[in-house]
Amino acid sequence: MADVNKPVSMFEQVRLVAGLRWRMLRNSLRKKNNRLDLIGLILTGALSGIFVVGLCFAFYAGGYAFLSQGHLEWMALLFWGIFLFWQIFPIFVTGFGATFEFRMLLRFPLSLRAFYIIGLAYGFADFSALASICWLLSMTAGAAVAKPGVLPAMLLVVAMFALLNVTLERLIGSWLERLLARRRTRELFLGLFVLSMISLNFVTPLMERYGASVRPAFLRLLRYFAWLPPSLAGHALAAIIQLQPARFLLSSALLLLYLVLFSALLWRRFAAQYRGEDLSETAAPARAAGRPIAGKDDGPDRLNLLSPQVAAILRKEFRYLTRNSFAYLSLLMPPLLVLIFSLNFGGRHPTVGGRGVSAEMFFPGMMAYLILILMAPAYNSFAYEGRGIQTYFTAPLRFRDVFLGKNLMLVSVLSVEIALSVAMLAWRVGLPSAHMLVATCAAVIFTIVGQLTIANWSSITFPRKMEFGQKRGQRQSGMAVLVAFASQILMGGISAVILFTGNWTGNLWLPAEAFALLAAAAVGGYFASLDALTRLAEEKKEVLIETLCR
Amino acid sequence: MPEMAVQTENLTRRFGNLIAVDGIDLQVTAGQFFGFLGPNGAGKSTTIKILTGLLAPTSGSIQLLGVDFAANPVEVKRQIGVVPEGMGLFERLTGSEYLKFVGRMYGLDRATTQRRSEELLDFMQLADRPKTMIADYSHGMQKKLALAAAVIHGPRILFLDEPFEGVDALAAGALKSLLARMTERGTTIFLTSHVLEIVERLCSHVAIIHKGRLVAQGSLEELRAGISGEAGSKTTLEQIFLSIVGQGGAERPQLEELSWLM
Repeated sequence: MADVNKPVSMFEQVRLVAGLRWRMLRNSLRKKNNRLDLIGLILTGALSGIFVVGLCFAFYAGGYAFLSQGHLEWMALLFWGIFLFWQIFPIFVTGFGATFEFRMLLRFPLSLRAFYIIGLAYGFADFSALASICWLLSMTAGAAVAKPGVLPAMLLVVAMFALLNVTLERLIGSWLERLLARRRTRELFLGLFVLSMISLNFVTPLMERYGASVRPAFLRLLRYFAWLPPSLAGHALAAIIQLQPARFLLSSALLLLYLVLFSALLWRRFAAQYRGEDLSETAAPARAAGRPIAGKDDGPDRLNLLSPQVAAILRKEFRYLTRNSFAYLSLLMPPLLVLIFSLNFGGRHPTVGGRGVSAEMFFPGMMAYLILILMAPAYNSFAYEGRGIQTYFTAPLRFRDVFLGKNLMLVSVLSVEIALSVAMLAWRVGLPSAHMLVATCAAVIFTIVGQLTIANWSSITFPRKMEFGQKRGQRQSGMAVLVAFASQILMGGISAVILFTGNWTGNLWLPAEAFALLAAAAVGGYFASLDALTRLAEEKKEVLIETLCR
Repeated sequence: MPEMAVQTENLTRRFGNLIAVDGIDLQVTAGQFFGFLGPNGAGKSTTIKILTGLLAPTSGSIQLLGVDFAANPVEVKRQIGVVPEGMGLFERLTGSEYLKFVGRMYGLDRATTQRRSEELLDFMQLADRPKTMIADYSHGMQKKLALAAAVIHGPRILFLDEPFEGVDALAAGALKSLLARMTERGTTIFLTSHVLEIVERLCSHVAIIHKGRLVAQGSLEELRAGISGEAGSKTTLEQIFLSIVGQGGAERPQLEELSWLM
């Protein structure tokens, strides 16, 4: 019999789990690369702090102003803001990943009750929860200063509201986990999520055009929102100030009912997890499909101009691209962005109002923006290789072939993207003058090829592993992001100055000539750098393998 | 004089203050089935990584098939196949795509790559899942695929780091017979394994590494001759290993210390 002589208290288990998470974070910062990332983390932390504290003041002011000025019903708006942030932010930040870490606790002697409470405690440790609680407290403070008598009722409502939010957030999280346990489903949802996020950009222009006709239907829908938790919390507060105890009790009871309902549903989910619900990454075995059709690839090699190694890497990169739904779908973004920007700022199209920007400015600006977003992954181009990186070092090839294969794939994708975007621009905004068109195209070659050299160096020097089709825990290498940022500013700055020299000097073709020279130099520099980068890859291979095989 | 497949001289690798591989002089003759043994953390995987170009030695030299690795890495890599620790697979490819990728990386033409890929997938019983990505393979299937990729170009030396770990008995049997046939045809196989019975059954020669130093090297018979077993019984590799590395168990924590488990 095991010689465990006393059960561990639930509080002790929660404390142990909190300690475990802290130690994991502390240990992860010990590595040198992670220390560099710490700079990024501190910056993010400082910005987040400013965001939270700034909104604390806003919620304090809101709570104070609405109560002191008698706008009691508007309190619901504050609850709605917090509710939406608390529920939606975690999906943005941590969604679409496998989250089995918490379930690993099941191997310890936990009761279902302890498991449930630890699960809820996990929810309170999220950024969204911490920020929301700060805002709720600020709002309470503001309301209490305006009307001190409201404090007890306010505290009750806020406590219930906070508990309801954390329960709902964990419920949504656990359902998402179940839904997204399979990789394919996860990637599909991630794709839909990205598309829906992009689609949000169309809301403003569509509302401008069709808003008036949609508004009555929207207002009719709005009255049903009164029965949802944030409105109920607001109504409960309004009722207590208006000395309507029956209305306060009704709103509070409904809020409590929501809490009980969500708690029951969450209990059910956690109970299923507690019983050992099988959420597996691996797909069920497919029915034997027989031997693959022989000779399928026996046709002439369309890439026979390239060496077998470069062609093999190019093919592999293409397959990886098509299987990384997040990266694949992000390719839809450039033409869509052109469309979105042209709807807002474009020139001659009839759907655009009077805010048009001329094609002379729009075309180079849009190209610069596209390069900015499309080049970013190149700065950590080995992110998805995983253990496969070892193949590049055991195979009989020089690392320059790896760079060539990868860069060729990127340039092909960029070419297609830019061609589509140019076609979209020509339709929506119109093309610029010939000298600006040529100058911009040469500038595009200069900035892409110039960045490739820096990006290759960054990929070897600051690698970071990333997982396919996951958003959770996917943080880019902090230093790679800084390098990308610096080189994009440098290239963009040089390009902007040169573009304007045409106007300053009166020689409109001067930028085109300058960019042509720079593009030729960038291409020459790129090929000259490959051997040096090959040597660097050999020097850095241990770090590269260690980081990506982790 | 027999051709040397693997020859190292004073091979050393340091990680800061830790000497993971300490002045190793290995000699493996072409066509040998060579087992490289050692306790956990002894330096086996580090040595294999150095021998296959995944890790640079701090000092010392390596000659594979008489060619200096440092001077001609690409030429040497053409002649070797590797199943590294962690297998080194691109998990977002299917088995067939991965084999074709590796075949082309080793410079095989498309038709040969295609043919060999199909044959290897058939042999490894992986052909019935043409659309399954490697990420969705079981551990044993990944091991078989890694081995298939290591042999697709017909290497003259095959380095295998724990090739049978996680492979079921049926597949292990098939793999062993494949490896045995390869050595019959002159391929040198250099493998590490913790399963001493497998090494004893397959390997003709063995080296034992302990705390980064090579403590024994030779044929099984030579090693047996150096150890006195019980009269009338054949000394097993386990006994040889324990005798050399474990010093008869002297370095093990005394079981008495765990009396609370008894």
